[in-house]
Amino acid sequence: MVNVSYVIYVASFITLACTAAVGVYGVLAKRNIIKKIIALTIVGDTANTFAILLGFRVSANVMPPVLPSLNPSKELLTRFAGAAVDPVPQALVITAIVINLAITAFLLFLAVRIYSLYGTLDYGKVIRVRRGELDGEG
Amino acid sequence: MRKAPYIALAVVGCAALTLVAVLGAFANPNTLSSVRALGEFILYNTFNVFNKHWWAGSPEAVTAVLWDYRGLDTVFETTVLYAAVAGCVVLGYTSLLKRGGERNEAGGGLTVVVKAATKILFALILITSVNVALHGYITPGGGFAGGSTFAIAPLLVIAAYSTEKVVRMGFRFLSSAVVRSAGLLALALVVLSPLIYYGFVLQNQLKPNSGFPGYPAFLGSLFLGGSLLYLNFAEFLVVGMEFVLVFLAFHFMDKLMGGEGSG
Repeated sequence: MVNVSYVIYVASFITLACTAAVGVYGVLAKRNIIKKIIALTIVGDTANTFAILLGFRVSANVMPPVLPSLNPSKELLTRFAGAAVDPVPQALVITAIVINLAITAFLLFLAVRIYSLYGTLDYGKVIRVRRGELDGEG
Repeated sequence: MRKAPYIALAVVGCAALTLVAVLGAFANPNTLSSVRALGEFILYNTFNVFNKHWWAGSPEAVTAVLWDYRGLDTVFETTVLYAAVAGCVVLGYTSLLKRGGERNEAGGGLTVVVKAATKILFALILITSVNVALHGYITPGGGFAGGSTFAIAPLLVIAAYSTEKVVRMGFRFLSSAVVRSAGLLALALVVLSPLIYYGFVLQNQLKPNSGFPGYPAFLGSLFLGGSLLYLNFAEFLVVGMEFVLVFLAFHFMDKLMGGEGSG
């Protein structure tokens, strides 16, 4: 008998890998800078979800990493340590999300500058404008 | 087919990643139902009222990791955030100077329905964000989550009304930067003040070999959560105001370059 939790767990890994593949393909193959940035955020969010999934506990009585009482008994503490999911990846991811947003904003600023200088967001055209083969609009 | 190599690279790389992860997860039957020893140590000790040797004074293990056990990581990540936003702010502020001020904009905005809904949502978002930030040491949330929620409110007003409305509400470029810096100063104060008592940097509760007695975890029966409450609120100010700055800077830059949308 195959455990359903294991199937879901492996399926989540495969789904995340497919999403990451889409993101990596976008970063490598798309020529528009905005599309590259969107693909980069997909890769980043996939990495965050992956980190949280690694800290997950596949068991029947899994708990969130928040102690449900301000006056705990020793029995509750032992049960909590044996059942709650790993808090370390979640703590790293909560900062990583905000950093991701700030980096994305900065990349978008650079994209706006590139558009104002070269009149295009296609990096192939940007290179050709720099070589003097095309006339920039900015 | 110039794109075939990219597709092949992406598929092969991610398939290898999945294979390693799945094989690692199923290598030992106990791996899936247990967490790493560090995680279990933190879960057991974060609110261990019987042995306060390694406790963090917070039933929320994620916040305890964020500001106590791995606090230095968070401080440096705040530095990275500051550096990234500083770049945007410099670009936005030069655009603002070229435009000649924040107030010379004709405000059109969206329909009355959207504006009325925005008024209600604005208050709700502000209350929710403060709630998320201040209760970060007992419920899921904290400074990062609260600050990100807070930043949505002025963004909504920019979309529904105009930037001038946001500026009239008090979210000016320079005053946002001042509040951001005040948050950073408060953060540094809470992080460094244990040193005065010969304690450790980022110390939260009483630790061995330290003269600092720790930030109060309880005030009578009221649960305060040590330094986590103050750090969360300072981080709330920093993150919220940094995102407001980014949105304002982006908007001014967009206007300077002839963008015509109001959002």
